[in-house]
Amino acid sequence: MIEFVNVSKVYKTGTHALNNFNLRVDRGEFVFVVGPSGAGKSTFIKLLMREEKPTSGAIYVNGQDIVKLKRRKVPYFRRTLGVVFQDFRLIPNMNVYDNVAFALRVTNVPGREIRNRVPYILGLVGLAGKARSLPEHLSGGEQQRVALARALVNNPSLLIADEPTGNIDPDLSFEIVDLLSEINKCGTTIVMVTHEHDLVREFNHRVITIDEGMVVSDDRGNGGYYLE
Amino acid sequence: MKIGSFGYLIREGAKNIYVNRLMSFASIGTLVACMLLIGSSILLSMNVNQIVGYVEQQNELTAFLEDDVTDEEAVEIEEQLREIENILDPVYLNKEAVLKEQMSSMGDAADLFEGLEGEENPFPPTFRMHVRDLSLLTSTIMKVSDIDGVVKVIGPDSVAEIVTSLKKAISQCGMIIVGVLLAVSLVIIANTIKITVFNRRKEINIMKYVGATDIFIRLPFFVEGFLLGLISAMIAFGLLWVGYDYILRMISQNPSDWIQQTYASMIQFKDVAVELLCWFAGGGVGVGVFGSMVFVSKYLKV
Ligand SMILES: Nc1ncnc2c1ncn2[C@@H]1O[C@H](COP(=O)(O)OP(=O)(O)OP(=O)(O)O)[C@@H](O)[C@H]1O
Ligand SMILES: [Mg+2]
Repeated sequence: MIEFVNVSKVYKTGTHALNNFNLRVDRGEFVFVVGPSGAGKSTFIKLLMREEKPTSGAIYVNGQDIVKLKRRKVPYFRRTLGVVFQDFRLIPNMNVYDNVAFALRVTNVPGREIRNRVPYILGLVGLAGKARSLPEHLSGGEQQRVALARALVNNPSLLIADEPTGNIDPDLSFEIVDLLSEINKCGTTIVMVTHEHDLVREFNHRVITIDEGMVVSDDRGNGGYYLE
Repeated sequence: MKIGSFGYLIREGAKNIYVNRLMSFASIGTLVACMLLIGSSILLSMNVNQIVGYVEQQNELTAFLEDDVTDEEAVEIEEQLREIENILDPVYLNKEAVLKEQMSSMGDAADLFEGLEGEENPFPPTFRMHVRDLSLLTSTIMKVSDIDGVVKVIGPDSVAEIVTSLKKAISQCGMIIVGVLLAVSLVIIANTIKITVFNRRKEINIMKYVGATDIFIRLPFFVEGFLLGLISAMIAFGLLWVGYDYILRMISQNPSDWIQQTYASMIQFKDVAVELLCWFAGGGVGVGVFGSMVFVSKYLKV
């Protein structure tokens, strides 16, 4: 599903964000990515969604080398992903329904399909009753569920989340990860960056620790083993 | 691209204009002002051309030579004339040719010249030629007079020179005005688009990571530029029509004969309306679309 082979990323400023990074994630896995601030976790996410290109190395997603992907093809690659961020990134003047439908409208999905998919996904994340609300009238947890609905609405095979619970209460964080785990059970591969070790401990998922741009441990959940 | 999303893009473009209405208003205002100035200078120079058109037909120069210039010497003078850039096809008439010409122009009274052939011929050898650019009349006449053997040069009234210089100045100013205003319009459009991009940076960012194509992200800006240009063209065209007709009416009510004559040769707006409308719409839409496309790629790193 995902394979990073000897990937290094040096930003224009000279920062070495990833150093010879290697990782393999199989289809249907749920992976937590942890590590200290500045370790390179967000860089890993940016490379994975082709927002940045690596300085060297190869990245495969669904068997496709996304480093060599032509600019013109990038949007079509992104349609196979769902992405969620810490700051939700909802459009403030659109209601919940339109925020979710937006992802479909801008990718040429026919109206009939939009009218079917959006209520279904809002039901899935437990927001069926809030379709007409504006984001500012929702709690942080609800806003993140809207963002999650938007990420899921095009039925991605891979869901990427960069600190999705960073801005919400611990109780609600748990609910979000619980929801992600349910989605994972239906076959979606999930990569989630987080700082919250309590959360990681509560769920029995694979945990990858990044430090100074390298994978320093890879804990498979049950017993686990360490790299290097 | 599907029909449904085409409608969506048009709506988005129109929405941009509304959401960003202060800036849209400013850019439409500027575009209208630019087009009005351009339109007025076009109408002015068209009218000047119309009115002074006949003046330019009067572009013949006649150079009288010294009486004893021989045909061989005339060839040399002709060479010198041809070296003056503003002179067109000089034609030489020697004393006999001038006399013959005069006689034939007299018709029945030709016998008055009887006995003037040979030594008695009072006419000087002559060059006839045309002036290419009347606005350079004085200096051209001076150059011809300076040639050895030329005694006197007769040309059109110097009013012709003034009128054609004026016409030249008007059309040159017109060009400069058009150039400057085109640049101003582009800057304004660029700023409007910049602000729209800024206002919508969140949406644009989301569009990028949910997989909207570059074209899809850009099209609303294209529509915005197109509509701004088109709306401005329509307004400018209407105002110009009303304004021009008003001026014509004022002129037609003036009792002065001279002004009445001028009025008779002035252009009526409806004769040039279609042409002007095409220019305005084409220019407005062109500037709008060009501005939005060029600057959207500058501000929108897609
Ligand atoms: N666009 C950029 N340009 C230059 N340097 C950058 C850029 N993005 C990140 N960096 C640097 O790269 C290093 C890794 O950053 P990254 O954002 O991947 O860390 P992180 O693990 O996500 O940290 P955090 O937990 O604080 O979010 C940091 O030193 C950071 O300053
Ligand atoms: Mg980060």
